Amino acid sequence: MAHFEIKDLTFSYPTAKDHLALDHINLSIEKGQYITVCGKSGCGKTTLLKHLKSVLAPHGKTSGEIYFEGKLLKDVSLREQSSKIGYVMQNPDNQVVTDKVWHELAFGLESLGMDQKTIRLRVAEMASYFGIQSWFHKNVSDLSGGQKQLLNLASIMAMQPTVLILDEPTSQLDPIAAADFLNTVRKINLELGTTIIITEHRLEDVFHASDRVVVIEDGRLIADDTPKAVGRFLKETKSEMFTAMPSPVQIYYGVDSDLDCPLTVREGRSWLSQEFEGITPTVTSIQEEPYMDEEIKDPAVEVKEAWFRYEKNLPDVLKGVSFKVPRQSIFAIVGGNGNGKSTTLKSISNICKPYRGQVLINGKRVDKYKTSELFKGNVAMLPQDPQSLFVKKTVKEELEEMKATPEEVENVAKTCDITHLLKSHPYDLSGGEQQRAALAKILLTNPKILLLDEPTKGIDNFFKLQFAQILLKLKEQGVTVIMVTHDVEFCARYADTVSMFLDGSIITTNTPNRFFSRNSFSTTAANRMSLHLFENAITNEDVIELCRQNLNK
Amino acid sequence: MDRVDTFSTYNPILNFAYFIGAIGLGMIFMHPLFLVVNLVGAFAYALTQDPKKVKKLMPLVVIMFTLITLINPLLNTNGKTVLFTWLHGRPYTLESMCWGMVTGSMFAAIIIWFAAYNHVMTSDKFVYLFGKVVPSISLVLTMILRLIPNFQKKANQIMAARASIGMTEKNMENVSAVFSALTGWALEGGIVTADSMRARGYGSGNRTTFSIYRFDKRDVAMLVAMFVLISGCVVCALMGGAEVTFVPDIQTAPITNMATALGIICYGLFLLIPIVLNTVEALRWHILRSRI
Repeated sequence: MAHFEIKDLTFSYPTAKDHLALDHINLSIEKGQYITVCGKSGCGKTTLLKHLKSVLAPHGKTSGEIYFEGKLLKDVSLREQSSKIGYVMQNPDNQVVTDKVWHELAFGLESLGMDQKTIRLRVAEMASYFGIQSWFHKNVSDLSGGQKQLLNLASIMAMQPTVLILDEPTSQLDPIAAADFLNTVRKINLELGTTIIITEHRLEDVFHASDRVVVIEDGRLIADDTPKAVGRFLKETKSEMFTAMPSPVQIYYGVDSDLDCPLTVREGRSWLSQEFEGITPTVTSIQEEPYMDEEIKDPAVEVKEAWFRYEKNLPDVLKGVSFKVPRQSIFAIVGGNGNGKSTTLKSISNICKPYRGQVLINGKRVDKYKTSELFKGNVAMLPQDPQSLFVKKTVKEELEEMKATPEEVENVAKTCDITHLLKSHPYDLSGGEQQRAALAKILLTNPKILLLDEPTKGIDNFFKLQFAQILLKLKEQGVTVIMVTHDVEFCARYADTVSMFLDGSIITTNTPNRFFSRNSFSTTAANRMSLHLFENAITNEDVIELCRQNLNK
Repeated sequence: MDRVDTFSTYNPILNFAYFIGAIGLGMIFMHPLFLVVNLVGAFAYALTQDPKKVKKLMPLVVIMFTLITLINPLLNTNGKTVLFTWLHGRPYTLESMCWGMVTGSMFAAIIIWFAAYNHVMTSDKFVYLFGKVVPSISLVLTMILRLIPNFQKKANQIMAARASIGMTEKNMENVSAVFSALTGWALEGGIVTADSMRARGYGSGNRTTFSIYRFDKRDVAMLVAMFVLISGCVVCALMGGAEVTFVPDIQTAPITNMATALGIICYGLFLLIPIVLNTVEALRWHILRSRI
């Protein structure tokens, strides 16, 4: 008996009656399977998942049937659904109901009317399984995003569900927390046999673990097969989804090999070794201009040994940060959480004022600028959460808030590709669209220096590509971009210079190529995969190119 | 919490009862001896918890004490010892000033007690207590306690985001924009929270309330002790053992009075409960450690 059986499910939202959000979906999910659902933002992934739990099913016109463990889902009682079908949502913050960690763990069990003793046992069990003991008594507001999401997972697992549905659970987390979270999900699947249905941007971490991958395009189910077969299918149909595949898959199809398709970096490595068996690569590196710090004359931004702390008695956040940002370039700062990367951006926009050292913008000290002068035509910052820039009812009003003329609004909307979204409420946009709308808003101040805090967070690969094109266009128009990010793949591909930030200062600065080819951990999947053969292939294209040259394909 | 306060590890019912007792009795007993005990008890407990906080509160306490002491004789002219006259022969009396001093120290003690209360009665204990009385309120309270820090954080985030595009002015337009953004965000988040609650079975039938607090034997023993001591105080009060009059002249019940003696002892012991507990605990650890 299938765990979930979806038969001919069709759905349309009341606001868009002619457009089918779900178009005749047929899907059968066996007990204990790990299913990844992928597709572009807005393709109907979330709508599909929400249908699997009656209380969350959106309002609209539905036809078709869903069976849960052989019974029609709508005939399964609310209580049984609550306990057996666990649902983890995207936003770690809003899902939390109570103020204390222990109470949150107990919330579901309280709702199910369990007695003190049972709840005490279950809560204790969850706390130790998920390693929550050390923050068991804490306030939820003191937790990091990763901890919150783990708490959400634990409080759902406390109800002992047989199936776990996860809707982009890691889109708001940094890569380390995300990998941690997804490993826990994998562990639950392997150790408890819980069925997993997950949607994810970060396919690298879930693709290889999946038993099946389901691809949805525009409300239709276009593929439902093993990960390898789906990879082949997407390549053959030249689907846009192919760009979201993990690096090993993309490289594999780029090289055109007869061997078996690799899914992980490890498999990718041995695949490359097999390809190169008996062949000594003649070309092992990509040509790259050397980077010299001294050569930068007239930098757009220069930070000279800046020291900063938030309060007198707190430790220093910035400990002598120094760097120069060449004009008209994309400068990326990578490094772990809580290191002071965002504070560095704030010191450039003069929000955090260093107590020692200087920040120079166009050669002039930032504190000598008047606020109006600094933020009109010089510096603007895109915050980590683009939503915090939105205060109006439509995107158009947002842009008009910046005292822009209609032509300016029109132009900037065109640049950021949001013309079709001008009438929408900013909260109704997807993550990538919100990002672009927020960017449009800040571009209206005509900044010459653009500060971006985690610009690719929560954005899927297509939107990343689109966002990168906008950045490149801006760069051509003379804008200098400084971004703080965890996304090494994005930096490797688009940045001109990459800096490593650690413990309050910049450790090293270099071109992405040199930077990443010297790292062995914080580097791109393509680089890790080809490290044993090539010196400095860091993007998928680099590896493909070098393979082609050496293998004469 | 840097120091371990043993008393706060007892069941919240006891914590709450203790503070009700301490503050309630403090308001009944105006007898100078009782007041001294009250002040000593309050300061001693607050100081063992957080000396910095007491230091911060001191200016407020001193100012209030002085003001009440000096102002009381201006309003109340009774009393036979006239210190001086003012405003066309209006007397300023010593007795009235003493009364002011007593009232002032009572308020001072109450402030300190509340500082100690805040330290011990954390929000979850409060919710636990009230959840027992009105279960539906307890969840609402918990959610509000969750929302407040969230709101503050978001408001700061929005203001920081606007500051970094140069919108720093604190004018009406800006403030209302931030406010409307906050409301929108809260509504949006509220929908997700509601979904998350329903997804976890909220409203699917009868609901229980879970708490991590237990009621152990030591809690029972402590409850009995507290009951006995408070009874002693009440008996003393009923027998007039804590009587004091200030006008027209100062008369206090003497310590030799049986009721007064009983009251002082019970009151003192009651107020010292947490300190005794902490000291016993410290001694116990000291002995344990010396054995190792």
